[in-house]
Amino acid sequence: MNGIPPLVTRKRSRTRLGLDGIEAVGRVGALRLAYGVRDGRTILTRSYCTTPWHVLPPAYLDDTGAAYMQLVNPSGGLVGGDRLSIELNLDKGAHVLISTPSANRVYRSEEKPSEQIVTITVGSGAILEWLPEQTIPFAGSRFRQIIRVQLEPGATIMLWDVIAAGRIARGERWAFAALENDVHITTTSGGALLERYRLDPSTDLGQVGLAEAWNYVASLYVVGDSIAPEVWNRLESKAASLLDERPGQVLGGVSTPAAPGLAVKLLAKAAPDLNRIFDALWTAVRLELWNLPAVSLRKY
Amino acid sequence: MNTRALLEGLRFIDAFFPSGGYAFSSGLEAAVQGGAVRDSEQLARYGEDLLRGGMSRREALAAKSASRAGSIGSLPAAIRLDHELDAMKLSRESRLASRQMGRQVIKIAADQLLGQAIVHDYQEAIEANRAPGHLAVGLGLTLGACGWSGRETVAAFLYQTAVGLVSAAMRLCSIGQREGQRVLGQWLPLIDRISREIDIKTPMSSWSPLQDIYAMRHGQLEWRLFRS
Repeated sequence: MNGIPPLVTRKRSRTRLGLDGIEAVGRVGALRLAYGVRDGRTILTRSYCTTPWHVLPPAYLDDTGAAYMQLVNPSGGLVGGDRLSIELNLDKGAHVLISTPSANRVYRSEEKPSEQIVTITVGSGAILEWLPEQTIPFAGSRFRQIIRVQLEPGATIMLWDVIAAGRIARGERWAFAALENDVHITTTSGGALLERYRLDPSTDLGQVGLAEAWNYVASLYVVGDSIAPEVWNRLESKAASLLDERPGQVLGGVSTPAAPGLAVKLLAKAAPDLNRIFDALWTAVRLELWNLPAVSLRKY
Repeated sequence: MNTRALLEGLRFIDAFFPSGGYAFSSGLEAAVQGGAVRDSEQLARYGEDLLRGGMSRREALAAKSASRAGSIGSLPAAIRLDHELDAMKLSRESRLASRQMGRQVIKIAADQLLGQAIVHDYQEAIEANRAPGHLAVGLGLTLGACGWSGRETVAAFLYQTAVGLVSAAMRLCSIGQREGQRVLGQWLPLIDRISREIDIKTPMSSWSPLQDIYAMRHGQLEWRLFRS
């Protein structure tokens, strides 16, 4: 085990956030989902949500028993002071795909940041494919995202995370006021992966820099302690080859982090290229790790 | 800083010190082969971006914090940062390069700075696999134990990194020694600001996606002069 402290989710009451009563409704939203396996199928065993979250029943996109769920926030986006939380628990052997119906839009805020705190526990032998749509930080927005993942022995996660430069179609690029992202994946058998960045472009050390030439910055992390080294090697070679298929439009790299698995970082100029590379990488991961074909998320 | 402390610490950042740093390019080799760095102007922008976004709030912060730990003789905080650095350095080659250079520094420091228990304790932790031994932490502890302040330690660490980049660039591109010195000079005000402004009370963070990607891509290059 390494020395990184255990994951602790800070729970703040609405009062501590300065939001009381009616003011907190729709601003401090909690979503808690737990999954288990019954008769070879992953089902939702517990669910709880407060506005703005909605819970829809899981869908089954193939005959593997994997549950597919969309995180539905019909409010249209996050404004300053919003604090959304998501807690996911996967029991032993569960297989869950999580996505979102549309991009996570973050609106301009004069002062308070909006937050999304995600806490995930993936039980022994369980699989989580965390595939949300991109986050779009609007001009002047302030956003903080924290994703904490704890993997039990034999658990695997594929985590996709994308930040867009802004509302690119209207020429808004890298104009947010502050952006923080913190993705931390730990395994019980040792090894951890941590991506943490803090952009505050008005300061000397918080500038976007050379990445400004690109419109999307994406990370893909695949971590699991029960995957054979030769599988990781094959997947790394395949990913490296896929990342080279769109020179000038996509620039990406793949390597092995300190946790058992792979880390992919990529920059893309346009959304269609980003979506195509995501599909190709996702398909490769499913095939190499679980011998499963790609599934259609039926969103478009 | 007194002259004795200056001399004690200088040898750990001098090019004569056998850290093996000449074998690593921090992904620059992949950037050159990828066409992102071809001349001294592009090198200046690439290195500035790496120092500012990639290293200021990560390695520089770790070095400053470790320097303080070295000066007060308290190891736990430095080991925690060492593990966090290991988790944050996603490129295998960069991670292993940092660990190799850090271990070399601490090995010689433990051999030479006999009165500094913290250096020996850190070496023991590395050998017992309780600490990864990253360069920023090892050099920070060592310079702190030599009597250097956190600010001086960060400046020295980043200067060493900058020299390594320029040195690698001179072997990879058509950049001469005078141009190399000019680029190095351009980075000095930034190094000074980072060493002054970086706050060890904030969590480590890093943003240099372009450089991170080239560091990852280095492992797949067909021919290589450097090991990272």
